[in-house]
Amino acid sequence: MEEGGAVIGPENGAGADAEGDAVMRCRGFSLWYGKVQALKGVHFGVRKNKVTALIGPSGCGKSTLIRALNRMNDVIDCVRTEGEIEFLGRNVYGPGVDVTELRTKVGMIFQRPNPFPMSIYENVVYGLRVHGVNDRRVLDEAVERSLKQAALWDEVDCRLHEPALSLSGGQQQRLCVARALAGGPEVLLMDEPTSALDPIATAKIEDLVYHLKRDYTVVIVTHNMQQAARVSDFTGFLYLGELVEFGETEQVFKRPKEALTERYITGSFG
Amino acid sequence: MEGARRGKRNRLLEFLVERALFASALFSAVAVAFIILFLFRESLPIFLGPGLLDFVLGAAWNPVGSPPLFGALPLVAGTALVTLGAMVFAIPLGVATAVFVSELSPKGWKPLLKLCVEILAGVPSVVYGLFGLVVLTDWIRVSFAVPTGESWLAGSVLLGVMSLPTIISVSEDAISSVLREHKEASLSLGATKWQTIWRVVLPSARSGITAAVVLGMGRAIGETMAVMMVTGNAAVIPSPITNVFSPVRTITGTLGIEMGEVAFGSMHYSALFGLAVLLFVIVLVVNSAALFLLRHRQAGAFGAGRGMVSRAKSFLSGNMVLLAGLAVVALAGMSSRALAASLLVAFALLYLLLTRLRRQWTEKIAFGAMGASFLLVACALAVIIYYVFSNGLPAITPEFLSGFPGNSGRAGGILPAIIGTVYLVAGAIAIALPLGVGAAVYLAEYSRGGRIVSVVRAGIDNLNGVPSIVFGLFGFAFLVIFLKLGVSLLAGQLTLALMVLPTIIRTSEEAIKSVPNSFREGSLALGATKWQTVWRVVLPPSVPGILTGVILGMGRAAGETAPIMFTAAVFSQRALPSSELEPVMALPYHIYLLATSVPGAAGNAYGAALVLLVLVLGMYGFTALIRAGFSGRRNW
Repeated sequence: MEEGGAVIGPENGAGADAEGDAVMRCRGFSLWYGKVQALKGVHFGVRKNKVTALIGPSGCGKSTLIRALNRMNDVIDCVRTEGEIEFLGRNVYGPGVDVTELRTKVGMIFQRPNPFPMSIYENVVYGLRVHGVNDRRVLDEAVERSLKQAALWDEVDCRLHEPALSLSGGQQQRLCVARALAGGPEVLLMDEPTSALDPIATAKIEDLVYHLKRDYTVVIVTHNMQQAARVSDFTGFLYLGELVEFGETEQVFKRPKEALTERYITGSFG
Repeated sequence: MEGARRGKRNRLLEFLVERALFASALFSAVAVAFIILFLFRESLPIFLGPGLLDFVLGAAWNPVGSPPLFGALPLVAGTALVTLGAMVFAIPLGVATAVFVSELSPKGWKPLLKLCVEILAGVPSVVYGLFGLVVLTDWIRVSFAVPTGESWLAGSVLLGVMSLPTIISVSEDAISSVLREHKEASLSLGATKWQTIWRVVLPSARSGITAAVVLGMGRAIGETMAVMMVTGNAAVIPSPITNVFSPVRTITGTLGIEMGEVAFGSMHYSALFGLAVLLFVIVLVVNSAALFLLRHRQAGAFGAGRGMVSRAKSFLSGNMVLLAGLAVVALAGMSSRALAASLLVAFALLYLLLTRLRRQWTEKIAFGAMGASFLLVACALAVIIYYVFSNGLPAITPEFLSGFPGNSGRAGGILPAIIGTVYLVAGAIAIALPLGVGAAVYLAEYSRGGRIVSVVRAGIDNLNGVPSIVFGLFGFAFLVIFLKLGVSLLAGQLTLALMVLPTIIRTSEEAIKSVPNSFREGSLALGATKWQTVWRVVLPPSVPGILTGVILGMGRAAGETAPIMFTAAVFSQRALPSSELEPVMALPYHIYLLATSVPGAAGNAYGAALVLLVLVLGMYGFTALIRAGFSGRRNW
């Protein structure tokens, strides 16, 4: 049992009390791409209305982990998992789980903005339309609400029917946020959402993340430690597929319990 | 001193090589210009005499009546109806199959499925024709209780099957190239796989799929042999227009049948070239449309537009679908009430399927339909192959493969036909290979854009779209008559070379372009000249790709009938050809004649068809092996 030795999270992290109001829980979760093990017995909880950051060097498995949370890894061939990820009291890898329902509740923002080549409006209502909502009033309302939440409304309110690809990179990424919000998710997964953006657009997204946690729970993957320190309440440090340390951000950055974490944070490697 | 002299020699060589390559690139453009010129030259009397309008819109085609009538309308209508009928089922079937192959096929199966599609494309049209003539028309006659199965319907079914590979492979390309980011975005929003395909993948691939359909249409319009063998060839417009059991006659069919019997220089001769011009123009327009769509694919925005315009557009396109559906029902209603009723029910079900059902069920049904489409295509392939094998195998004996035909082909063997085909193919490749590779090297390595290059490219694209029967007519008018080569091996080889040239240029250019730039820079940085770099560094790794193009061209040349019918092929020969200026027998032409003109030769027709099929598919299989073998070895 490899994951037996690898369960480090709860002992080192914020402990059982931190998991008290967790909306998602990973329990001894491992994942293989073919024969290569990418995640080794990861164990942590995502707390409600908080921002949880996952950091670590390239290839440590942080993107794999966040994609596991809403089962986007299903898209890739030869993926095998062990352990569970609990969401709303159910194992998302359990039998009979409707992946599309899961993904509606656990939305995702990708590394590069990926708006569909449709109008801004159609992008935002896409999630609603695939769930059979076609009532114009409901859609209009959802568009305004989500674009406002994504802090994009003021910039696009008079050109909702123009192509989404006419927006700037930063605007496109906020549109993707709005698109994810329109379906009414509980958790928002962000996979390095600012890696393709300039510093100003990045600041806007970070600001947005800070405001979003009032209504949503956010998990963010980042390779930028300052970003993790700025926006998150909890931080997990992954290395070679293991969750080395997990705890409140301040503690992880100022008083890391693991020597490896300290070395990474101070820039000795990675 | 020594260095200076070598430098001078090098510069001269470089200059000569570049000129030579440029000349071979220009050749295609010149060839297209020549084709157009000769078609027009020969058709001038019909356009000047009765006049263009009377020719195109004349309601009767009776060139041997008195007075002879040269009205192309029934033939144009025949071509249009047969193509339309083919598209009605080839489009949904082809696109659904493409979706299945690209998005739904089980892991690791995709190469196999694509191979099936390639085999379907590789079956020579005369083999399709043989199958259609013997099996399809008979099946139509029996199951619909009509006097003869040689009809519009038979032509459409056969052409539909023949245009499927084009539609499937080009659509599949377009669907596969939809960005993974878009699919993931849709899935991450909770859309099902089917919703993702329907709302994101297909709209993104729309222009590519449209181009696929148009290219498939071009293929159907230009096809000669198969159509000629199953449509009955009566130059009438079906009455009522929806009577799918009526015989029809296409433009290509008319050329194929009448060109062999026409008196050189007569008004009838000129009228046939007029038809060729008409066909050429139609195919040119269709193919240009497809190319335009493919080139402007990257714009790819769907549903994007400004406010009201985009809304109006989506409203219109929604209603267009509805109107088209109603029109189909109404048309069907004219021929049969039951058909109309069942179509209405089908549309209603489709509507329910797309809007009212739970989406998990919609997905299941949609995926089932895609899978069924693929199975249907695979079945068509299996049936044709099985049929040729089961009927052809009994005829295959050592004497059949090594003997001369006797009793008008009913007895004896097909040796001269096999040898003739080998000669034709070898000669065509010997001519087209240097020209094609030279043109490809010029386009990939030397051309710096500009007007001449775009003319050359247009030439290649158009040459690629020219229907094979038009090559046949051109070969006849220019090589056989004008250059006085007579019906000869050489005339056939030249005609076939022209036909396979674009294939060789394209595949070679792809291969050359896929050599990484770092190789070129490395060579140039060591002081090699441009031509040395091309010759020593760029060409060697391109060989497998070029070879693939050559063999694809060989397969095509071996299977084509229309281009050699009037330029090289004869029905029988006592001895093997001993000079380039003698006519030859050829397998496809032999099959065509045995199937259509020699009663009681069916066994030998199947036998010859089997030999041709094995020959052509063997070549395609060989290219697959080359690709597999070399793709493993290259490691950049």
